[in-house]
Amino acid sequence: MSEIDRDSLSPAIVCHQVVSQAKITNRPVLDGINCEIKRGEFVAILGLNGAGKSSLLRSMAGLLPLKSGQILVNNVSVTPDTLKQARQPLAMLFQGGGLIPQLSALDNVLCGRLSAFSGWQTLQGFPQRERRMGLELLDRLGMAEFANQPTRQLSGGQQQRVAIARALIKSPQILLADEPVTGLDILAIQQVMQILADLHRSGMTIVTVLHDLGLATTYAQTGIIVDQGRVAYHGPSQNLGQEFDQLCDKVDHQLIKY
Amino acid sequence: MGIYSWAWTGLQIDFKSLQNSGGYIADFISRLFPPDLSILDVAWIKLLETIQMSLWGTTIGAVISLPISILSASNLAPWWVRWFANFVQNVVRSIPSIILGLIFVAATGLGAPAGTLALGIYTIGYLGKFYQTAIESVDLYSLEALQVSGASWFQIAQYGVMPQIMPSLWGYTLYMFEYNIRAASVLGVVGAGGIGFELVNYIRGFEYNKATTMMLVLLVVVTAIDIISSQLRRRLEQQ
Repeated sequence: MSEIDRDSLSPAIVCHQVVSQAKITNRPVLDGINCEIKRGEFVAILGLNGAGKSSLLRSMAGLLPLKSGQILVNNVSVTPDTLKQARQPLAMLFQGGGLIPQLSALDNVLCGRLSAFSGWQTLQGFPQRERRMGLELLDRLGMAEFANQPTRQLSGGQQQRVAIARALIKSPQILLADEPVTGLDILAIQQVMQILADLHRSGMTIVTVLHDLGLATTYAQTGIIVDQGRVAYHGPSQNLGQEFDQLCDKVDHQLIKY
Repeated sequence: MGIYSWAWTGLQIDFKSLQNSGGYIADFISRLFPPDLSILDVAWIKLLETIQMSLWGTTIGAVISLPISILSASNLAPWWVRWFANFVQNVVRSIPSIILGLIFVAATGLGAPAGTLALGIYTIGYLGKFYQTAIESVDLYSLEALQVSGASWFQIAQYGVMPQIMPSLWGYTLYMFEYNIRAASVLGVVGAGGIGFELVNYIRGFEYNKATTMMLVLLVVVTAIDIISSQLRRRLEQQ
C-alpha cells in the first residue's frame, strides 16, 4: 500500500488514554480520553464548563502537555519533539479570533504562512505571491475590502473570518476550532458555521468545541460529550440532546445531594 | 489598621519638635524669595544638560531593558531563564539612584557622563519590569495561533509580540524619560552632572534666591514635558 492510501484510510486524530493535569492544582483536566476522529468528519465537542473540552482540543494541537497517553494526528504522535511535523496538517481557530489586533487583516492572514519561511526572510516581509494568496482568501470570505485595516477595528464576526483565512492559507487537512462562535451575534454565528460546513463539504476534517447544542446537531455529524475529563458520549450528533439531558440530570442529582 | 499602627511606631515622631518645625519651614521658604533671575542663563544651560542626560540615560536603559524583559516574561522564556533575568532586575531595582550616581562618579569622575550611566542602569530596574508586564499581557490565543501555524520563536516575537507591545513600550519609555529628568536633578547632588549639582551648591552656599530660580526653571520644563509626553502617550494608546 502506498503512503497516500494508508493516509486516506487511517483516522485523522486518535486519542489513546490521554491524561493531562492542571499545572498548579494537579487536578486531572483530561482523565483517560479515548476517541477516534475519522477523516472528513465534522465533529462537535460539547460539555459543561470545566469539563475539559477545550483542553482536549488544545491537546490535539500540542498546546497542552500530556502526563500520559498518546495523541496521533495523521499517524504522527504529538510530542514536544514531533510538534512541527504533527502540526503540519493542522490549523486552529480560537474564541475571539486570536488575531494580532494591531496588524492589518492581510498581515494576520499571512501570519498563517510564517512556517514556510525562515525568520530572516519574514523579517523583510512577505513575497508578492503570498500577499496575492492572502487577498484571494480574504475575498473568498467576503473580507477583501478590509484587507488593509487593523483587525482591532473589525467586528467579532469579521475577526473570526480573518482568522479562518489565516487558518486556510496553510491549506490544512484538519481544522480545530475552540469555541469559534462564542460571543458573536446571530448573523455572524451563521456565517462562521456556514463557512465551516462548506470547508467540511470540500473534504476538510472539522473538530470544533461548541456551547450550543442546536448548532452541534445542525452542523456536525458526530458529537463528543466530555464530562470530568472523560468521554461521556461519542456518536451521531442527533442523539446529543438526549445524551446531554442525561448528563444534566446526573449533575442536578449531585447538586441536590449536597 | 494593624499595618498602619505598626508603621507609625517605626516613625518615632516627636511631637514637641514637630511643633517648632513650622517656624523653621516658614523661615526657609521665606528666604527662597524672591528668585534671583540673573542666573537664568546658567539655569537653562544646566537644564538642557539634564534633559540630554535623561534622553541618553533612558535610551541606554531601554535598549538593555528590552532583552532582559523578554527573558523575564512568563509567556516567552523557560522558568530558569526567567528566574535569572528577574533576579538581575531585582538587583538593579534595589540600588538607589544616588548610590548608582556615586558608583559612576567614582568610575568616570564628576559630571554628566556619570549621571547618564547611572540613569541608564537605574532605568533598567523600571523599564525591565514595565516591558515585561506589557509582554505578559499580550493575548495568549494570538501567540498560540502562531505556534500552531508553525511559526518559529523569533517569528512569534516579531509578528505576535512586537506589534502588540509597541504602543505601550513607547508610552512607558516616554514616561521614564520624563521621570529621569527629575531623577537626574537628584543625581546632581552627588556630583553626577545636571541641574541638581548647581541647585545643591546654591543651597549649601546659602544663595537661596538663586536656588529658587533653578527650581522654577525645572518646574516649567517638567510641566512642559509632562504635557507633551502625555499627549504623545494618548495618541499611542489610540493606535
